[in-house]
Amino acid sequence: MALLNSPLGAPVRAVAKIRASVHVKLLAGFLLITLLFIAMTAVSLRTFAETARETNLLDQAHERVGWSRQIEHALAMQMHFTSMTLLSQGSDPVSLILRENNRFNDTLARLETAAPAEERALIQAIRGAQDDAMATVADIANAVRDKRLAEAMTVLRTRQEPVYQKIETLVGSLVAAEETRMAKFRASLAATHRQSMRLMAGFAVASVVLALVGGFVISWSFILPVRAAHGFLSDVAAGRFGGTLVVPNRDEFGALAEHMTWMSRELRRLDDEQRVAAATLRGLNDRLALASRAKSEFLANMSHELRTPLNAILGFTEIILDELYGEVPANLREPLVDIQTNGRHLLRLINDVLDLSKIEAGRLELGVGEYSVQEIVEVVHASLRSLAIEKGLAFSVRVAPGIPTAWGDGRRLTQCLLNLAGNALKFTRHGRVDIDVSLADDWLTFRVADTGIGIPKDEVENIFAEFRQVDTTITREYGGTGLGLSITKRLVELHGGRIGVESELGRGSTFFFTVPLHADGGPA
Amino acid sequence: MKDRTVLHIEDNEYNRKIVRQLLSRTPYRLLEAADGEEGLAVAKRELPDLILMDVQLPKLSGLDATRLLRADPRTANIPLVVVTSFALSGDDRKAMDAGASAYLAKPYSPRDLMALIHRFLPEN
Repeated sequence: MALLNSPLGAPVRAVAKIRASVHVKLLAGFLLITLLFIAMTAVSLRTFAETARETNLLDQAHERVGWSRQIEHALAMQMHFTSMTLLSQGSDPVSLILRENNRFNDTLARLETAAPAEERALIQAIRGAQDDAMATVADIANAVRDKRLAEAMTVLRTRQEPVYQKIETLVGSLVAAEETRMAKFRASLAATHRQSMRLMAGFAVASVVLALVGGFVISWSFILPVRAAHGFLSDVAAGRFGGTLVVPNRDEFGALAEHMTWMSRELRRLDDEQRVAAATLRGLNDRLALASRAKSEFLANMSHELRTPLNAILGFTEIILDELYGEVPANLREPLVDIQTNGRHLLRLINDVLDLSKIEAGRLELGVGEYSVQEIVEVVHASLRSLAIEKGLAFSVRVAPGIPTAWGDGRRLTQCLLNLAGNALKFTRHGRVDIDVSLADDWLTFRVADTGIGIPKDEVENIFAEFRQVDTTITREYGGTGLGLSITKRLVELHGGRIGVESELGRGSTFFFTVPLHADGGPA
Repeated sequence: MKDRTVLHIEDNEYNRKIVRQLLSRTPYRLLEAADGEEGLAVAKRELPDLILMDVQLPKLSGLDATRLLRADPRTANIPLVVVTSFALSGDDRKAMDAGASAYLAKPYSPRDLMALIHRFLPEN
């Protein structure tokens, strides 16, 4: 913006402030120079005309000088022929005098017509003197004809000669006047030439200066707002919104600057809104986190509060059944076992709901460590063997040889396999349940196959959703919470693994899950 | 052999009653406390042979009480079983970190509890 403080800053600012379009400004600039050229042409033409006129006047003056000389000549001839009249004493010279007189008068008449007004008096005087001279010639001619030669001689000497001398003097004055005028015309012509030269040079210099200054000023009146806009846009790009782009222009650049300022303010508004929204979201998020923590604490407390009375119910039932209070009457044993069964079911429900809430809240973390696949399978087999025997089912386990110690949450994976195998035993009336574990490409596959009731095709997709058992009557008939598969699926996914099922209605199902031999167990 | 003492710290009356019933036919002497502070005081006064500590107690939590007992040289070596709420929630690890000798998840089977007591205090 240093330019705006320079001497040319003022005109640049002035041009910028003109309320006209860029197109009009450029046109005006070119038009100004064009007008200058037109003016120069006009002045040149006028100078040419002036020169021509003055040359013409000079010519005329020259002509008049010629005529004056002719008059002098005619006068000389008249005097010559007057002398001849005297010498020859005939009338022939008189006619010659008359001829010369006529020529004299003709020339004088032409001169009079062409002469400027101030010479008219002089010409009148010449005419008067000539008339006198002709009267004298007439007297001399009459005296010669009457043979009064002495008288003629006297007239010639006393009257004619002074008249002719007078005429000669007058003509001389005329010639001198014309020559003065000619000199004046020549001087004027020269002056006109000089003036026209100066004018031409002046116009040329003015045109060049005007073109340079005009071009400079107009172009800078466009460049400055563009530069200002450039800086302004850099600010916007850097995220500094809401500034005002100030340009003196009242043309398209001015309109553009206004729009850019408006745009920047709009961006500022949107940015502010977005910031407010982000802050609101952050606040909301904090409150949600707080609520989530509160929920977790609530769940932990709930867990304890529910377990404490349940512990008492199950504990009392067990020590009664163990006859710590004395022998149990046979008719009370069955209801006591029912209390125990239902208490245990309630405990499973509490465990599953708590597990699921924790998984849902993303607060369940795997307790990763080394575990033995063989051990998991053995624990599950030991836990469920009595149930299999009770139901008269074959129950086998097989672990592929050579599986190394694995990494993950062994207890959770036990829970998963226990869920699947427990389900398989529950839903199988005849036949067998087989557990099989294999390793391929560092992925473990746990497989539980049964010869049970199977799952209808349209239910297979929903089988892992919460509280989804194929039929709610199943819950009553087979027990279970309806959460086991859902929890198992999530636990497997927490290990980075996958769960699936292949089933044929009436023929049996095979549930399987795969987990990496080395699971990171980061929070899901 | 009535000299071996078990201190049961538990705020729920019914759970205390179960243990009372369990130990009534054994030679162990049972002491009871209903909150963490009382349990800590009884333990320091009586120096029992085994402590059963519920994890969630009024006034002073089971884990804090365990840490305080472990910090006192007189009680530092007394076998201490923490009864946790939920073995899968991480309470078990917290209990072992606080200095428990073993943990038992609630709800526990009285048979399992007796087995644990026998493990730390064998009869004969």
